[in-house]
Amino acid sequence: MNGKAKYIIGGIIILAFLVVGFMSFMDSKIEYVDFAEAQNRLKTVEVKGYWLKDKETKFDGNTNTFSFYMRDDHNNEMKVIFDGAKPNNFEVAEAVVVKGKVKDGCFMAKDILTKCPSKYEAHPDEIKKSQL
Amino acid sequence: MLGKFLIYIAFAVSVLSIISFLLVHFKQEKYLKFGRIFYYAGAFSVIGASAFMLYNILSHQFQYTYVWEQSNRELGLPLLISTFYAGQEGSFMLWTFMTAVIGIFLMRYLGKGDRLEPQVMSVYSLVLAFLAFILILKSPFNYVWDSFPGEVEYGFIPPDGRGLNPLLQNFWMSIHPPTLFVGFSSMAVPFCFAIGTLMKNRYKDWIGFAMPWLLFSGGILGLGIMMGGYWAYGVLGWGGYWAWDPVENSSFIPWLIIVAAIHTMVAQKRTGGYIKTNLILCIIAYLLVLYSTFLTRSGVLGDSSVHSFVDPGQEVYLSLIVFISLFILIAIFAFVFRIKTLKKYAPENKKLLTRENALFVGSLTLCAAAVIILAGTSWPIIAKGSIDAEFYNRMNLPVAILIAFINGISLLLKWKTSSDEKFIQGLFFPLILAVIVTIGLVLVGVQDFLFALFALAALFAFFVNIEIAVRLFKKQRDNIGAYIAHVGLALVFLGIIASAKYSKEENLTLELNKPVNAFGYTMTYVGASPFEDANNKTDTKYHFNILLEKDGKEMVLQPVMYYSAFSQGVMKNPDIANFATKDLYISPMGLVEPETFAQEDLHEFKKGEVKQVGDLSVEFVDFDFGNMQKGGEEIQSGNFEMGAILKVKDSKFTENILTKIKYTDGNPEYYEAKMTGNDNYSFYFTKMAIKGEEEGGPAGTFAIVDNRVKKEHDEHQVTEEALVITASIKPFINILWAGTIILVAGFFISIIRRRKEIL
Repeated sequence: MNGKAKYIIGGIIILAFLVVGFMSFMDSKIEYVDFAEAQNRLKTVEVKGYWLKDKETKFDGNTNTFSFYMRDDHNNEMKVIFDGAKPNNFEVAEAVVVKGKVKDGCFMAKDILTKCPSKYEAHPDEIKKSQL
Repeated sequence: MLGKFLIYIAFAVSVLSIISFLLVHFKQEKYLKFGRIFYYAGAFSVIGASAFMLYNILSHQFQYTYVWEQSNRELGLPLLISTFYAGQEGSFMLWTFMTAVIGIFLMRYLGKGDRLEPQVMSVYSLVLAFLAFILILKSPFNYVWDSFPGEVEYGFIPPDGRGLNPLLQNFWMSIHPPTLFVGFSSMAVPFCFAIGTLMKNRYKDWIGFAMPWLLFSGGILGLGIMMGGYWAYGVLGWGGYWAWDPVENSSFIPWLIIVAAIHTMVAQKRTGGYIKTNLILCIIAYLLVLYSTFLTRSGVLGDSSVHSFVDPGQEVYLSLIVFISLFILIAIFAFVFRIKTLKKYAPENKKLLTRENALFVGSLTLCAAAVIILAGTSWPIIAKGSIDAEFYNRMNLPVAILIAFINGISLLLKWKTSSDEKFIQGLFFPLILAVIVTIGLVLVGVQDFLFALFALAALFAFFVNIEIAVRLFKKQRDNIGAYIAHVGLALVFLGIIASAKYSKEENLTLELNKPVNAFGYTMTYVGASPFEDANNKTDTKYHFNILLEKDGKEMVLQPVMYYSAFSQGVMKNPDIANFATKDLYISPMGLVEPETFAQEDLHEFKKGEVKQVGDLSVEFVDFDFGNMQKGGEEIQSGNFEMGAILKVKDSKFTENILTKIKYTDGNPEYYEAKMTGNDNYSFYFTKMAIKGEEEGGPAGTFAIVDNRVKKEHDEHQVTEEALVITASIKPFINILWAGTIILVAGFFISIIRRRKEIL
């Protein structure tokens, strides 16, 4: 086999890899949307928002689901049902990101990410307290 | 001041060292000794600064912002040491420290002959200078009054620090980051060799000099990555060891590239080809280390990772970009400058089925895996969104299958020549064995086609390498390293197949003392018990004891949950029962606390508020503190009794009744109260909120139970205390851990051989 054929075969393999990779990539993209948009999507999406503390928040031991109400940045509210227990740091999270799909008017989350940037950041108030 | 001063010195003399070594490169031989002295001076300044920083931590110098932020007086020695690299500044310090130390060994190594010392060391000094520059911008030696100007008075020493993130309070966390940083730092060496050899315009012998260093980087980085996986599995309780998290990915990508480089460098050593490939791979590997630092430190991935990111500030962000861009420019410039010479080395091999071609294709496949992971990990920078972890699994599965097959095939091929007959002969036995075992695996349940193929490929590679390793063990023991590493890799692949695809998982709610059956075990949650953690005296940790029974044998698993004051949240650690063929893995998910009253019976009242409850009209009049003081010592102690007065009106009468609650060590006990002549309702005072009263919100909560409604449970208890867990069976995960250890060991054994070759 000569050098040219080698490059052609190699080129085809790499091209095939790139095409398959690109398609799979587009398929796996998870977009950030709001709840209004999430209702129109069939694919898994991520929604960032805030836990509504004064609405019902509970863990159901029978179905092993944790449900709460969330409001996104555009003031859409939706009930979120998470397949699992209440995540770490849920109460103190500044914001939560839920990953999943909308079904029957509820957001079925398979993942919850709690965002607590402040907890690792030092604040001068903490020193001030000890100065007193 | 000492710390900052040493960093400035380190930066300045590293620059001098660059200049001196460059002068040597341009034939000014007399500057060699200056170059060396300046490098030593720079390295020892960094070591001195690190020692000073460690001293500050160990002696609790809380006037330093970094020490105050990351540690406190309660941490034990090992954890205190790990605060050194718990924060951004410290981890840059550790990186610089490791780079400085590795450089000392490198310089001594290069000095033992004509080993490109001036060229390699001029680039290496540049690396050190850059890291020192970042430490000038992001100093671990800032005082609190400088960090918070105007808010903290000059000279104030905080009495205690904030303490260490509890996720890091763990054995694996005290060794995993340093190991990774040794790996990251050592990746600069191949880069410097590649640039150095381009400067020298000599492309043959650098391969031999650089090889032991690449093996070291590959081995140690591999070890660090594996420890991270074990930490995620054993401590974080992800339930797995690998989640394609951006931080994991960003250390895995350079590892793939360096491993690819090792293989094509072996090919160059034997055949003289792949010169450009090797230069490019060695350069890219370090650029990817820098890029991954950029990714994980710049805060761009904040939305898509479980690791926490703090914005390091614009200066660090920019200097990392400058750092990367400069190195890319240097590399491009060197290539363009040497393009004529490089073009002279055209490939000469004509046969397709040779070991060098197989190695090249194998390296290309490793690079393909790196590209896949890089694309997914970088996506959040380009667009708003993330990539589903499934993408990595789906894409890397065929790549891994290819890698395993190519691995086996390449070792059956000969260098330069190809003899089809011998190749097919060699193929025969390993392939037959692999097919037989795969058929066995399919029969016991591996029925997914791709996974069966993956198993076949891994087994094939396993048998090919085992056969060679056994043969070499008798004759040429020195050469055994590569085959050991491959056997390890094959085992890792088999472990992945078993544990990723065939683990079973179930969410269970274990009510107190009620046995539940899962996976053939009887699990009973028998209650929680507090325990003391010598490393963390701030928080009270709890074991949640689960009694496991099977075939008359018993054992207790103790997953942990506790409230962490530092992160203001509940932290959870899994517990694992290790068996020879599987792990039983228990992740605590949460505790359902017993509820005494049904939700619909509870009513919140503001003071003076009137509510209609059933056929009653109820008004909350006031608390009755008796002779206690509001907010006084008794209330603080958690041992007291207090009352609340309700004004209740039924169809006939109006009556003021006193409801009471008693606290013993903070645990409440409720007293029943009733109206005279009306048994239909019972009243309980369940919660008070003095603060709510002051803010005009609800002040008291009362349970008003209608006794005519039949209750499911005895008394008023509606739910039992229950532990919610995720239990899973991880089959043959031990194969995976054994494989990773064997894989890493293979790298280190190879170093011995490659060092002997250059002496």
